[in-house]
Order: sequence, then structure tokens, then C-alpha cells
Amino acid sequence: GALRGAIQKSGSRLLLLLVVSNLLLCQGVVSTPVCPNGAGNCQVSLRDLFDRAVMVSHYIHNLSSEMFNEFDKRYAQGKGFITMALNSCHTSSLPTPEDKEQAQQTHHEVLMSLILGLLRSWNDPLYHLVTEVRGMKGAPDAILSRAIEIEEENKRLLEGMEMIFGQVLPGAKETEPYPVWSGLPSLQTNDEDARYSAFYNLLHCLRRDSSKIDTYLKLLNCRIIYNNNC
Amino acid sequence: MKENAASRVVFILLLFLNASLLNGQSPPGKPKLIKCRSPGKETFTCWWEPGEDGGLPTNYTLTYHKEGETLIHECPDYITGGPNSCYFSKKHTSIWKMYVITVNAINQMGINSSDPLYVDVTYIVEPEPPANLTLELKHPEDRKPYLWIKWFPPTLTDVKSGWFMIQYEIRLKPETATDWETHFAAKQTQLKIFSLYPGQKYIVQVRCKPDHGYWSEWSPESSIQIPNDFPVKDTTVWIFVAVLSAVICLIMVWAVAFKGYSMVTCILPPVPGPKIKGFDIHLLEKGKSEELLRALESQDFPPTSDCEDLLMEFIEVDDSEDQQLMPRPSKEHMEQGMKPVRLDADSDSGRGSCDSPSLLSEKCDEPQAHPSKFHTPEGPEKLENPETNLTCLQAPQSTNREGKLPYFHANGPKSSTWPFPQPPSLYNPRYSYHNIADMCELALGMAGTTATLLDQTDQHALKPSKTIEAGGEGKAAKQRESEGCSSKPDQDTAWPLPQDKTPLISAKPLEYVEIHKVSQDGVLALFPKQNEKVGASETSKEYSKVSRVTDSNILVLLPDPQVQNLTLLEEPAKKAPPALPNPAEAALAVSPTTPGNCRLQLGWGLGPAGFMHLQ
Repeated sequence: GALRGAIQKSGSRLLLLLVVSNLLLCQGVVSTPVCPNGAGNCQVSLRDLFDRAVMVSHYIHNLSSEMFNEFDKRYAQGKGFITMALNSCHTSSLPTPEDKEQAQQTHHEVLMSLILGLLRSWNDPLYHLVTEVRGMKGAPDAILSRAIEIEEENKRLLEGMEMIFGQVLPGAKETEPYPVWSGLPSLQTNDEDARYSAFYNLLHCLRRDSSKIDTYLKLLNCRIIYNNNC
Repeated sequence: MKENAASRVVFILLLFLNASLLNGQSPPGKPKLIKCRSPGKETFTCWWEPGEDGGLPTNYTLTYHKEGETLIHECPDYITGGPNSCYFSKKHTSIWKMYVITVNAINQMGINSSDPLYVDVTYIVEPEPPANLTLELKHPEDRKPYLWIKWFPPTLTDVKSGWFMIQYEIRLKPETATDWETHFAAKQTQLKIFSLYPGQKYIVQVRCKPDHGYWSEWSPESSIQIPNDFPVKDTTVWIFVAVLSAVICLIMVWAVAFKGYSMVTCILPPVPGPKIKGFDIHLLEKGKSEELLRALESQDFPPTSDCEDLLMEFIEVDDSEDQQLMPRPSKEHMEQGMKPVRLDADSDSGRGSCDSPSLLSEKCDEPQAHPSKFHTPEGPEKLENPETNLTCLQAPQSTNREGKLPYFHANGPKSSTWPFPQPPSLYNPRYSYHNIADMCELALGMAGTTATLLDQTDQHALKPSKTIEAGGEGKAAKQRESEGCSSKPDQDTAWPLPQDKTPLISAKPLEYVEIHKVSQDGVLALFPKQNEKVGASETSKEYSKVSRVTDSNILVLLPDPQVQNLTLLEEPAKKAPPALPNPAEAALAVSPTTPGNCRLQLGWGLGPAGFMHLQ
């Protein structure tokens, strides 16, 4: 009786110890906490903000690539959609650097504004992408789930970027106009080929813009946090 | 005229064409672009595969235009990338822009263009392998020695500025091994390997991958010889073993704590010991039955009157025309009989032998399949299975002649311990024997020979309180027991086993027990007989008390006056069935020599008093 009770107690304590040690060991996976509202009195280090932002942008680009490949494999084989995708991105009006030299010569304020513009301009298309993919007949879950994830992560990255901007360039205006997407009608057209082509374009542009954001952030991270010594 | 001239020209042209075709010359085949690759996201190279050359010298040109531009450019560098390649330098490389590239094959006969290839440099990144792979053995003091592997980032990659992010992977193996040991090294450019086999030559390779792109090729092999005296202390195995055993111990402790005593008894059942008052275990071990019995005899035998009464109430022997011995406990006195006979305190396994139906291997002549009903109306709570099939069956078969009469005496080679693991719950002090089977068990238990049989049949025999639920199960048990008991199959024919026993679950307190057979190992198999199955041909025999114990270890029971006589039998192997010294007496003896009879010979000669005193 008493012995059993004692053993049970020790057993539950040991279990608790194991659980706690597991949590501690897995600590590396747990992301660092970020201030919820970006309030001024909540100070997260810039290094942590950048680490988090780089992680999220890397993740978004991975998801976008996978989503594009999945769609290409399923719906775009032999259709020649790529020819129609040239010059189809709504964000092409943004003056983004196109190679390393140009990027290195761009001021970090400009780079951050570009990143914010890109993120904001994708809020709306991502929302509609999720809605329309859901309505697409036979839409594989691989595409839909990734679309949903990307939409969510995009919002998160936008918040983080706004915080970074606030810390790196306090007081600077960041309400730059951003390109507006107007491709919704082509996503909803009845012509199946035209609709699939519109989806292809959107996913192609998403993959590209997420690569841009990812690259610019990594550049900024090495430049600002590590002093060009990554 | 003009028409003639035109047709003539056409005709000549065709002739030329035909002539050239006859010569094997034709426009070139269609070339094909294989792939384009960028080593550092700053330049890229494209390769193509030429088609048929059409028999004429063919030139290849590569033309491209960028997304958003209309101007068509030609490849700036055909040489740097090797044959059939085009190298785009930094000046000509744009990221996040689609290139539309085409290769054209030109010869005298014509031009053939490849299908256009759409390339975005962002997605064709494949770095060079890492450079300058170095290996070094380090022996720091007071620490484990290790192999230190170092390398440099591949050429053409700008990692410092953050434009290019790389992850590395190392693989190594002893020269003679076949499988590589792979280690992922993330962004670091060095790695320490601790687990090495001394005296081996190790081969090491490294490769890398951009954050978004393809893995590089493996670097050229580097090798290093580990000296023979390289100390390798592999404590990880021991740590793992220690942790594992600690975990197992914890689990066992928990199991014990939670499951409690029942699990312990499941794993380590208590070994019962004989506890018969006045019974000397040592005598039993020596295997001298006579001394044993005399010792018992001297104490409480003949039984006292009240014990006799109880015994009389207890035992009812049926002396049918087949001279079957069917002692049965009387119904009315079951409960009463149970009280004084305090055999329960004993955790001995004497019961098992009686319980085992294995003793009966053939069907009885007069099958009196009386499934035993061990009832303990006042029995311990644990005895919740009144369905126990008492496996002792009567075996009235003519084949009983052969076979050895089981003797309940110390038979020799086998141990005299109590082999039956019994749950202690069975031995509730309130449990008392209410049938011959129990008594048989006790008797058997006390005798050395029983041990031998019990060894074989204990699993099934000594569980009177357990349900032998289905007849099939009971049969199986019995068959097993019979196998166990029948070490001499040819001799075991004496004790047939009724095939269609039916396990009875009855709440009736009354049990009639029939002694069906005793295996050659001296196990008394009793089979309680169902009341309703008492055939008309059978007459129940009531034995009121034990009159005496003969020298030949025969328990002589006094039948009721109105009951028929029962043949008194003796050891079959050695003696002829003896005449009853007292016709009115019946001895519980089993003799295979008596056809159609199941005789039980209690070789220990205990009287009822012995029963009562069995502890």
C-alpha cells in the first residue's frame, strides 16, 4: 500500500523529469518568442528578429517551390503555360535588384521597403489563391495545404518585417504604395485552360517573389547583424 | 518557253537535291539543350547535345532573349564551359528573370533549331564541391582523441555577404568497408569524428548544397591512416546499456507497484511445501514409504470417531457391477465435511495428481463421465469457478489389465517436492476437501511418487478450483496430462479417458467422486460424478469409514451396510487382484488388471484422520 504509493509517486516524478528533459533537449526547435503587437515597450533583439524572419522567408520559399512543382506536375504538363507566364507578375513594377552587385549596392532601407512592398502586395492574392484552390475540382491537398500555410506565414513575416523596420529605421516612413493584384477574374474564368494558366502564373510569380524576399533578407541579415561576415 | 525554262530550273534543282541526298548530306538534325547550371548564383553555363550533322560540317549557335526584352542575343562564350556549351558571365547573368534559350545547328544544307529552354538562374544552382579537404588526428590531453576534418567553401560562392548560403555533408568509411558513414555539418566548415577503428585507413569526402538548389558532387577522396595505438574508448555503448537497464528496472518497479502482488505471484509462484502434520519431509525425500506411512500411522490412525463420521459423510464409493470404485462425497455433508478437513492451509500440490484426467487415456467400459464438480460453497472467494472439471475419471476398460498400477508411494527418481504452483488463494483456510479428489491429491502429494506425476501434470492437475471450462479444454488438459503420465504408453492403456466428458458447472454442493484411475506415476485421478448421470446400472456405494490400512499400502474403506461390496485391489504389477479380506470393505485401489474397473490404490494408507490432519 504505502510502498506502492511511494513507487507511484516516484514513477510520476520520473516521468515528469523525462518530459522536462525532452523539452529541454528539443529547445533548439522552439522558436524564439516575438513581441505580439510590436509594442514599443516590448524589446526583442534585432538579431532574434532577423533570425526569425530569415527562417520564415526560407520556409515560405520552400513551400512555394513545392507548390509550384506540384501544380506543374499535375496540371501543366505539355501545356506550354510557361510562355504565357513571362512578364505576368503583378510585382514586376517594383524596382528590385536583379543580381548580386545591384543588391549589394542597394541601401538597406530601400531593400527593406521593397521587402515590405512585396509582402503587402501578396496579401490579397494569397487570400484568393486559397479560396480558388479550394474550389478547384480535384485539387490535391498538397497544393491546398501549402497555400493555406503560405498565407499564414506571409502575414507573420509581414509583422516581423515591420518590427525590424521599426528598429533599424526608427521614425522612417514605410507606407510606400505597393502593387495591386488584379488577376482574380482570370482565376475564376470558366475556361479551364485559361484558369489553369492563371493559376500557373500566380504560382510562378509567388515562387519568384518569395525567392527575392528570402535573398534580400539573408543579405540584410549578414550585412546588418554579422557585418558582412556570415 | 518560259514555262519550259522554269520547269527545267526546278528539275535541275531537284536533281541537285537528289544528288546531295544520294551523297548522304542533309540539313543537320535537331540539337537539344541538356541543362544549365549556376555554381554561385552569379554566372551560369548551358550545355547542349548535337543532333545528326547531316554529313556536313555543322556549326552550333546559341541564341537567347530575356523575359521582358525583345532583343535576341548570342552566347557570349562558347569556350569556357567546354564543347557544346555556353557560359554566361556575371555581366550577362540576371537573377529572377526568365531566359529563353535556343541552340541552332547550321550546315550547308540548312538550319535546325532546338526547342526553346526556359531558364531562371534562381532555380538551377548547383555549387562546386568544397575545396581543400584536410584531415588531422588530434590527441588532446585528458580528452578523447578524434579526427579533425576541415574544408573550405567551394569556389565561386559568396557566403560572407549572405548572397549564397551553404550546408555541408561529410562521409567517411574505412577503406575496406562498403558502407559510408554520413554526417551532416550544416554551415560549419569543420567536423570532429570520435568513433574510429584503430589500424584502419579512412577515406573522407565532402559535398555541399545551397539553401535552395542541388547538391554538389562529392569532393575528391582524402584518406588518413589511423595508427594502431589509437585509443578508442567507446563508452557510449555502456552508457546506452546502463540507461536501458535503468529504464527496464524502472518499468519493472512500476509494474510491480501497480500490478502488485499478483504479478509477482504470476512470475514467481510460491512453491508449496508439504505440510502434513506428523509428516516428515525428510522421510519422503529419502523415498522410504514404509517409514513414512508408519510415522503417519502411529500418530492419528485410526481416525477418531468424529473424523470418521466426517469421512463417512465425505466418501461415497460406488460399487457397480464393474466393480468400479466410485467414492463420492455425500451431498448433504459437503459443507460440514469441508470444515474440519483443513487441508487448505497447505499449499501443497497434492491435488494435482488427482485432478489430472490425464491418467485416463482410454474410454472406460462403462463410461461414467462424471465431470467433477468441485464445489466449495463455503470455499474461498477466489474459488469462483465451480466449473472445474475434476479430471479424475473412472476408467472401466478391459484394457486395464496391462499397465502398471500406480502406486502412491515413493517411487524413486523424481523429486519429492511439491511441484504444483498453486495460487495461494486456493488455499483458503476455509476450504476443505469435499471429495476424494482432494484427498487423493493430498495423499499423492504426501507420497513421493506423486511428485513425479505432478511434475508432468501440475499445470492442469492441481487446479481444482479453476475451471476447466470447455470440455475441449478439459480434454486437452487431460490429454496432456495423460501424455505426461503415460511415460510408458503401452502401460497406460489401463486408464481410459472418457471422451465425452462434460464440464459441469453446478451450484449444487453435492459431489460424488469416482476414482477413475491412477496413473502409473501414482496420481490418483478422481472424477466427480454427476448425480443425474448415475446410471441405473450403477449403484452407488457408500463407504462410511476407513477400516484399516493394509501393509501393501491399501486404504480399506468400510462400505455402508446396504451397499455392495467393492473389490479390494492391490498393486497390479506385482500381485493378482486380491480377494477382499473383508467383503464389506472396499479399498480405494486402482488396478489395471481388473477389467473394466478403475481402482484407486492409495498407497499411503492414510485414514480419514490423515485427511483431517493434512495441513
